[in-house]
Amino acid sequence: MTPRVAVLFGFGINCDHETKAVFELVGATADRLHVNRLISGDERLEDYDILAVPGGFSFGDHLGSGRLLGNRMRFAMRDALQSFVDAGKPIIGICNGFQVLVKTGLLPGPEAGHSPDFIQRGSLTLNDSGRYEDRWVTLEFDPESPCIWTKGMTRMECPVRHGEGKYVMPSADDIDRLDANHQLTVRYVDPSTPPGAGRTDEALPYPLSPNGSMRNIAGICDATGLVFGLMPHPEAIYARWLHPLHTRHDSEASSGALDGWEGEGLQLFRNAVEYVKQRS
Amino acid sequence: MPVTRVEVTPRQGEGMRDVRGDVVRRQLKADHNISVAKVRSICGYLISGETPSEAIAERVDDLFADPIIELGAANTTMLTTPSFGDGPETVITVGFKPGVTDNPGKAATDGFLTLFPADGDAKIATYTTYVFYDLPADCDANWLAGTLHNGLIERALVADRAACADQSWPELTFPTPPEQVFIEPQSIDLECDDATLEEISTTGLLALNLNEMHAIQAHYRDETVRQQRTEMGISPNAPTDVELECLAQTWSEHCKHKIFASRIHHVDHETGEDTVVDSLFKTHIMKPTHDMQKDVDWLLSVFHDNSGVIAWDDKWSVCMKAETHNSPSALDPYGGAMTGIVGVNRDILGTGLGARPIANTDVFCFGPPDWEGQLPDNLFHPSRVLRGVHAGVRVGGNESGIPTVNGAIVFDDRYIGKPLVYCGTVGIMPRQLPDGRPSHVKTPVAGDIVYMVGGRVGYDGIHGATFSSLELTEESPSSAVQIGDPITQKKMLDMVLEARDAGLITCITDNGAGGLSSSIGEMAEYTNGCEIDLAKVPLKQAGLSPWEILVSESQERMTIAVKPEDQAIFEALADLHEVEATAVATFTSTGMFHVRYADATVAYLPIEFLHEGVPQLQLESEWRSPELPSFVPPSEADHSELLQGMLQRPNIASKETWVRQYDHEVIAQTAIKPFVGVERDGPGDAGVIAPIHGDPHGLVISCGIAPRYSDIDAGAMAAASIDEAVRNAVCVGLDVDKMAGLDNFCWPDPIESTKTPDGRFKLAQLVRANRELERVCRAYRLPCVSGKDSMKNDYGTGPDKISIPPTLLFSLFGDHPDVRKTATSDFKFAGDKIYLVGESKQELGASELAFMMTENGQAGGVGGHVPLLPHPEQNLATYRALSQTIRAGLVRTAHDCSEGGVAVALAEMCIGGRTGATVDIDGTGSGDVWGRLWGESLGRIIVAVSPENEETFLSAMKGHPTTVLGTVSASSSLTITDGDDQLVELDVETMAGLWKGTLDLTGGVI
Repeated sequence: MTPRVAVLFGFGINCDHETKAVFELVGATADRLHVNRLISGDERLEDYDILAVPGGFSFGDHLGSGRLLGNRMRFAMRDALQSFVDAGKPIIGICNGFQVLVKTGLLPGPEAGHSPDFIQRGSLTLNDSGRYEDRWVTLEFDPESPCIWTKGMTRMECPVRHGEGKYVMPSADDIDRLDANHQLTVRYVDPSTPPGAGRTDEALPYPLSPNGSMRNIAGICDATGLVFGLMPHPEAIYARWLHPLHTRHDSEASSGALDGWEGEGLQLFRNAVEYVKQRS
Repeated sequence: MPVTRVEVTPRQGEGMRDVRGDVVRRQLKADHNISVAKVRSICGYLISGETPSEAIAERVDDLFADPIIELGAANTTMLTTPSFGDGPETVITVGFKPGVTDNPGKAATDGFLTLFPADGDAKIATYTTYVFYDLPADCDANWLAGTLHNGLIERALVADRAACADQSWPELTFPTPPEQVFIEPQSIDLECDDATLEEISTTGLLALNLNEMHAIQAHYRDETVRQQRTEMGISPNAPTDVELECLAQTWSEHCKHKIFASRIHHVDHETGEDTVVDSLFKTHIMKPTHDMQKDVDWLLSVFHDNSGVIAWDDKWSVCMKAETHNSPSALDPYGGAMTGIVGVNRDILGTGLGARPIANTDVFCFGPPDWEGQLPDNLFHPSRVLRGVHAGVRVGGNESGIPTVNGAIVFDDRYIGKPLVYCGTVGIMPRQLPDGRPSHVKTPVAGDIVYMVGGRVGYDGIHGATFSSLELTEESPSSAVQIGDPITQKKMLDMVLEARDAGLITCITDNGAGGLSSSIGEMAEYTNGCEIDLAKVPLKQAGLSPWEILVSESQERMTIAVKPEDQAIFEALADLHEVEATAVATFTSTGMFHVRYADATVAYLPIEFLHEGVPQLQLESEWRSPELPSFVPPSEADHSELLQGMLQRPNIASKETWVRQYDHEVIAQTAIKPFVGVERDGPGDAGVIAPIHGDPHGLVISCGIAPRYSDIDAGAMAAASIDEAVRNAVCVGLDVDKMAGLDNFCWPDPIESTKTPDGRFKLAQLVRANRELERVCRAYRLPCVSGKDSMKNDYGTGPDKISIPPTLLFSLFGDHPDVRKTATSDFKFAGDKIYLVGESKQELGASELAFMMTENGQAGGVGGHVPLLPHPEQNLATYRALSQTIRAGLVRTAHDCSEGGVAVALAEMCIGGRTGATVDIDGTGSGDVWGRLWGESLGRIIVAVSPENEETFLSAMKGHPTTVLGTVSASSSLTITDGDDQLVELDVETMAGLWKGTLDLTGGVI
């Protein structure tokens, strides 16, 4: 089977084209779907296997990034989203999409074994620098995370492009609970550390941590590992020619798509597509 | 309606910060060296609606406050809560003036309706309160308020120390716009003497000269015209106010480019030339491009559309347009610049049947950010202009999801009088639509229905086009300033592109300068007529008079024509995207621009008179070379010290703080970003994008700008700008056989008058610039496909008048067959061989070094030999050879050599690679040591080649000036010698620190 991906757009989402493209590069079919087509019932979320909420500036980030789109989804698509999660279908939110998932309460979501309750438990707030920035960061994934999106991935470089990417929760206990479940799936790390040994709870200095996120958190998953969100943009390194240092390296063939020019980010999307294929 | 107040403030505590307040604190430190212990912020919302306050209070955490990070309360002033109890010393509240676009308010209203769908007429206005603790005693509260708001569009309330001690907190009220008085169309009697005609033009802000007023007067004396008008029931022998305003907009310098179309009597006192130029545009820009169009098959659409279109491959075409938004940016840097960038995005959307914007370019010219001299009245300090313009372009570009891939920031004292804000956009469209029509051709027919799509029409933006054709004065109207709304525009853009692919669009154009008057008026030329009903146009506020509706330049609007049978599906699509689309006109073939307000005809103008009736200007031009004291370098100098100084010059220093705040890689296509190298902070020469996902076929975007060369010769300035744009693009491997350019001229008023006694000279500068533009573009086979001019870049009159240096921005877009084979400016590997392509001559006139040494008192002037381009066809051959070596993978490092010459270029290449280099400039050209180290001769690119590729590289460059400079070293220092003479020895980290320090202006992160 060929998994079908719903890529949301409208109201200022703006990474919909490339998000659709990366899913198609790893063997899915993807549709750009205006949020209102789902709300109106023209299209049904249940007809899709994966939901992607791409990056962008929904409603201009006014009243807090992701808030207004999150509200529309929380109030108008509640049942459809709940059934989607209960059916065990993967969801990803990237950048603004992550903000949306956090503010709808889908991330980090309730404790294991519970259906989504749409209660907001964490937030993403203004970067400590006070500035929106586009800069490349180094990420490391928790190998024990239940997240189905990041299986087998250790370290990745990709850009962050946000002004509100500092992940916070009301108390250290809240984060400890997520950490214990390995839901702190991806963190900013110092690139000079050996791969696999970069993750730390100590706050990294700017710009290694571009936003001052608690415990250098770049992305989290829910208790099932199916719903995943992150501030950095893995789709922005779908091909190696998008890496800032690609002129330094010979164009020797590597494995993967794009005649050996597959970028590190594509694996994340392939993981979800393969997951869906194996389940069916 | 009752108003409910909701206030929200960030929670304080472990890991939580008030970043909005922090930003204000850091900026006070960075811009004014004022230290404040703490600044806190409150976001305020004033909700005017029928929903009871109690009901709103219950939902504060669902909409206004994020309960995890914020405290929110309804009907309470946060300042009275315990959280703020510890004695603030100054409180300043800033909100918008009535009628000014309030984007957060608009978003909040949308969110409010999600919660309270029944309260359909609710409106929300926002404000921000800043709360200062431990403010220095000598910091005046009103001065502080002045730094936090722009009185033209915002209002501020201040509680100073005394008021704070009394706990008397400022409370802004809901901004209700004053009622607009609807004025029935009136006729304006033009049967009067010349003085009165001129007065009508001046007092009405029409910007029409006497000749033009006469042409209008003559039209209404024509008996046929009078008879037709009588039949239509409109004032037979005098224009209505609607008609006069419409003519003023259509005939404005901004819309008609009258100076570029003028008949110029040109005298050159040096050569004895005495000649007439009939239209600079037709002679020097249009004709060369049309000649080149005969030789290539990829120039699809030039000059007549909103942007120039070239075929990129069999499936896709690309287009590009650049605009300026100078006057609005002088008055309100943030709003002016934002409307600039979102406005040029609409030019792309309005190209052909609709192109998708995929990349932005931003080039700014400002006064020095560290300016300590006098500032003329009503002008902002250059650092504030920089911050505001940057923020506007950042928000406009980022929120629209369009990457900013290329740009420049240039500084000169004279831009204090008028900043230049160039915004460019590249678009892409399928060459053929699903219904088979070529996308670059508009296909309207009489009977098509014309929609206004997007935003509504308001009092904002009335007279923008005519205003930009006047010089800036203290009385400049506030209605000429607008704030863009990128999200409304993004929704419209999504909708329009869907409509295009569904085959629903027969014609589309942007509503920019001149509003509906221009957009429908221009499109009506296709079918030769239109009939507009202004009463159907949706308004932001009731009461606008017909002429105001017709000419208002309210933002975020497109004008789109649709076949009658497609109306229902088009409107359904607009509904889905929550975009307002209203049928306001019909195309006809009557030959008339016919405007009604409901049943009454309020304008009835022949299309031909409207578009062709403006009389040609007759202008005088006289050239004498300006006499400037020559730049004579001292006999002895410490070149290391000079290099340290040069790296800190604002014109050379890193712009990273600013550029990094633009999203430069959304759409996942940017293969060469604005920053390159190991620390990703070296300068990129040109942007390279691969816009089709999965395909490495690329597009190069670059620019060139060299305004200071105009001090010596504006012709040389133009040639240098074009050459720089091409060089930058060659550095990344452009295919020089498929490139196109855009010319954007920004000039001081070149029409001789009492206000402009030196008009003849300024016009001669324009003539020379155009001649060089033609000469160089023909030699480079570089067609100009679109352009724009802005001709009144002056401030004030008399001895205090400030005129900008004549400035040409040349933007370039061209083909790159494979982005996997490209080069960047950073030195890569120790042992790589460094070469200079091109020759260094003795050309130091108007160089950055000359300016620095003159300002420092080390030299007596900047005059002398300005860089020239005597044999451009040879340059092209060299560029072709070099770019082929890059695309063959032989060269991975290339950097343009411009401001600051070889020395600065090498320093930047070392910084990008965080590596040293050993260089000998002996034998690199005919210049002396100053000319070879610091001169800005054109046609030069520095490259580095790995030893194994050196021989192949040299044989490919045979016959082209290619001189070995040295070697990339394993050390951390840049060493430059001239034979046995040691010139420069500097550590790379030292250079990086100096280069990155000047324009940091962040006040730190913590």
